[in-house]
Amino acid sequence: MLNATVISQILWTSLATSSYFVLFAVAFALVLKVNKVFNFAQAGMMTCAFYSAYVAVRVLEFSGPVGFVAAIAGGAAMAFILERFGFSVLRHRRASPMFVFIFTLIASQFITYAMTMIFGTWPTTIFASMFWPVSIIANVAVSAWDLPALGATILVLVVLWAFLRFTRYGQFMIAVADNADLAELYGIRKDRVLMVSMLVAGIICGIGMFLYGTRAQVQPAAATELMLFAVAATILGGIGNLWGAALAAVVLGLVQNSSILFIPSAWQGFLLYAFLFFAIVLFPSGFHLPERSKRLKRTVVAPVVVSDAKEG
Amino acid sequence: MDYIYTILILIGLFVILASSFDLVIGHCGLISIAHPIFYALGAYVSAMLAKEGGVPIPLAMLAGGAAAFLASVLVALPSLRVSGDYLLIASIGFQLGLIEFAKHIHSIGGAGGLTNIPSFLVNSYGRLSYVILVLAVAVLTVLFVRWLTSGPYGRMMAAMRDDELAFSMLGRNAIWVKVSVFAIGSGIAGVAGGLYAHYFRFLEPDQFGLLQSSAILTMVVVGGMRTTWGPVIGAVVLQILPQAITFLGLPPSILGPLQGLMFSGLVLVFMFARPQGLLAAPDIWAGRSTRERADG
Repeated sequence: MLNATVISQILWTSLATSSYFVLFAVAFALVLKVNKVFNFAQAGMMTCAFYSAYVAVRVLEFSGPVGFVAAIAGGAAMAFILERFGFSVLRHRRASPMFVFIFTLIASQFITYAMTMIFGTWPTTIFASMFWPVSIIANVAVSAWDLPALGATILVLVVLWAFLRFTRYGQFMIAVADNADLAELYGIRKDRVLMVSMLVAGIICGIGMFLYGTRAQVQPAAATELMLFAVAATILGGIGNLWGAALAAVVLGLVQNSSILFIPSAWQGFLLYAFLFFAIVLFPSGFHLPERSKRLKRTVVAPVVVSDAKEG
Repeated sequence: MDYIYTILILIGLFVILASSFDLVIGHCGLISIAHPIFYALGAYVSAMLAKEGGVPIPLAMLAGGAAAFLASVLVALPSLRVSGDYLLIASIGFQLGLIEFAKHIHSIGGAGGLTNIPSFLVNSYGRLSYVILVLAVAVLTVLFVRWLTSGPYGRMMAAMRDDELAFSMLGRNAIWVKVSVFAIGSGIAGVAGGLYAHYFRFLEPDQFGLLQSSAILTMVVVGGMRTTWGPVIGAVVLQILPQAITFLGLPPSILGPLQGLMFSGLVLVFMFARPQGLLAAPDIWAGRSTRERADG
């Protein structure tokens, strides 16, 4: 029966589970914005991050924080390998976008099969148990996983914003995203910036997979589905708009979770592909916020009006 | 002998799939890896028409091809109006979405698969007759693709692929060319699906996923994209090679990933070591022409 408590619970669960979706979407959107690559190899980075944490915690029996660092290291290491031995080589060969895309797809498949050979297809988690203590707050069940996950996601977004806004390499990344050739003329080392962009994406994927792997079971092919969710969010959020992708990921997570009220749970997986397909067909340029565009226009137009008035 | 006939049938089917996929990705330059879903559509439509509708099997196979043709138009038209890159993502969404959808539809067998599909020719004339049929369709496909790409339509495709802006400035409709080539390639894959369904008599949605996409892409890349015989060589080599692994007696849990690792690993090796494939088409993967690069 649908009542305020059920709706509140679904909203809260959706918000909590969207934490890792947001991270995957932001990582995908960042590489697309800066490196101009539809990086389907992100699934490989995610798989590598998860199994690094799994080996650290479950096989080597280190503590959770070590697993967290291992996930970040795994994601970043795979990002480094992909950029250094894949994208960089293809860029210098002036490979066509189709070739680069096929590379990302095949690299992702290769990593998935390699992980399947090593770890098998049996789903697993980072910790032995994925059940977290639950507290009831205002009639809503809040698990011990929810708040740290949301906190970590918000922290990552704030750090990423500050990195892009205030640090030298963050500004270089924006410059390369806007016009890579012009950025190079100004002395920015494009290859290094593209590597930093991939490493940042790898780190974000690592954090996202650690969160996901502590809540859900993972098998080597699982990351592909998670990445397709990120692709749909990136398109809906508007290509080149990191924060739009993050917001779209929250909305998609909410729609997918609340769909249980209207359709059988078995069909929830199908919704993802429906999102992906209809995002492209109906919203190929994503959603736009008209008020922000108007405000931007005013700030650009205003000085011109003033100078005209002075001349008059 | 039955084993050899089955291998020959698989080789024939993959020659059809690889040649028609090369038409889409190589000759026309459309980025899509969802070819297996049109193969699946042809297979399921043909199987259901023959099994439930009592339609004669050759007609059901052609109907399967027509269904794949129409579905590909529905996928390509909206996505290609935006950008070529979107075709890829829309088609992946369509491929995985349809597989997920098929898993939940019990009337077509669901995730467990569709069984008892009526067989064609084998019971009346023996397996050799089916081998001849599949190989004949494969030869016709290769000749059709060769004819299509070497004539005026092929020149139109090449012009559009090499410089879409100039092509459009000359008053040509690039979207129409792309959609029509995508539909032709997918329609051929649909017919191959019908041929598959009425020989193997069992269809399962997961057969037509990303592993199948990797396999067909591997055949085209390894054989040589945008060549007549490249996809044929790729299909023959990559159908025979996995058979060698099956004789190693490995458990299925290892065999599947090992084949996938081999397919994807081979593509990666070829992409970096010999991007033009076993048979080379000139400057196949370059973003700019050789002359442009020489000019700096």
